[in-house]
Amino acid sequence: MGISRDSRHKRSHTGAKRAHYRKKRKFELGRQAANTRLGPKRIHEVRVRGGNKKFRAMRLEAGTYSWGSEAISRSTRIVAVVYNASNNELVRTNTLVKGAIVQIDATPFRQWYENRYAKILGKKRRAAAEEDKGEATKPRSKHLLAKVAARKSSVEPALDTQFGSGRLYAIITSRPGQSGRCDGYILEGKELDFYLRKIRSKK
Amino acid sequence: MSEQQNERSFQKQASVFLNAKVVNKKNARWYKDIGLGFKTPVTAINGTYVDKKCPFTGDVSIRGRILSGTVHSTKMTNTIIVRREYLHYIPKYQRYEKRHKNIAAHLSPAFIGVQKGDIVTVGQCRPLSKTIRFNVIKHQKQQQKGSKQFQKF
Repeated sequence: MGISRDSRHKRSHTGAKRAHYRKKRKFELGRQAANTRLGPKRIHEVRVRGGNKKFRAMRLEAGTYSWGSEAISRSTRIVAVVYNASNNELVRTNTLVKGAIVQIDATPFRQWYENRYAKILGKKRRAAAEEDKGEATKPRSKHLLAKVAARKSSVEPALDTQFGSGRLYAIITSRPGQSGRCDGYILEGKELDFYLRKIRSKK
Repeated sequence: MSEQQNERSFQKQASVFLNAKVVNKKNARWYKDIGLGFKTPVTAINGTYVDKKCPFTGDVSIRGRILSGTVHSTKMTNTIIVRREYLHYIPKYQRYEKRHKNIAAHLSPAFIGVQKGDIVTVGQCRPLSKTIRFNVIKHQKQQQKGSKQFQKF
């Protein structure tokens, strides 16, 4: 490869230049970055030290995202990369890395919510679409209706508007170049406010 | 609260979940006892800073050597240089010479008012950067001779 992760080529703490006395070893190797993009799934398997495998995702389009306050996870499509704290270039090229803020498809979460709480999310848009055959209005037995009524539901306004547009902001917490997956959690509360401000100040 | 969000990514303690629907105590904070008899400072428990390299509120463990020395420099962000002096014996002349070694150590925001000359105890931790393998775990101000005198105004 040529990429090595040794510190023998660097100057020491005192500033002394270290003598080059041995060649690069295999255990110090580094590999090319994955730079996982959005697109039809393409994953390369890599044999690593000890005979183990790493799944280098080259293109991904979906991942499992958790809604923390509701404690559920659903597999959803990733729409776009929206913010990256390290490098704006990675946003422009839609590169999926750990810690990147992405927009994900909201439908599985909306369907789950309407099924559980029998309430409609994203008020204005859905109200315009009329409640025809939504999960919120499907026929339920009396026993089930009582259970549903007893469940408390509260969604913060920032999340509610996101449901209206059909896209939620989420952060990637897995490492696509290592595990081959692009999983994460939906942003809520202070974290959501922080990143919304960052995204707006960019535009 | 915004004084802790100076970076481009959201700073938070990894083990604290901020968005639970039922909030028990306002903005729960995680801290630990580093062991070996070292008291975790109240500034770490009650503070609002987020530092993943802090021995009390972050993801580092103190193990291995525990050393102490005097603070030599505090000019770096969140890290200090600790100077350890010792005497080296020359057998031919049956005499000693002064030598010193500098150690770079991470300084948690829990310790405030650390100045050059103070005595500091550092504990070994995993490498935090190219030269930092130690973390400040105790701080004791320098004793001023005639401390009843004015120093600074």
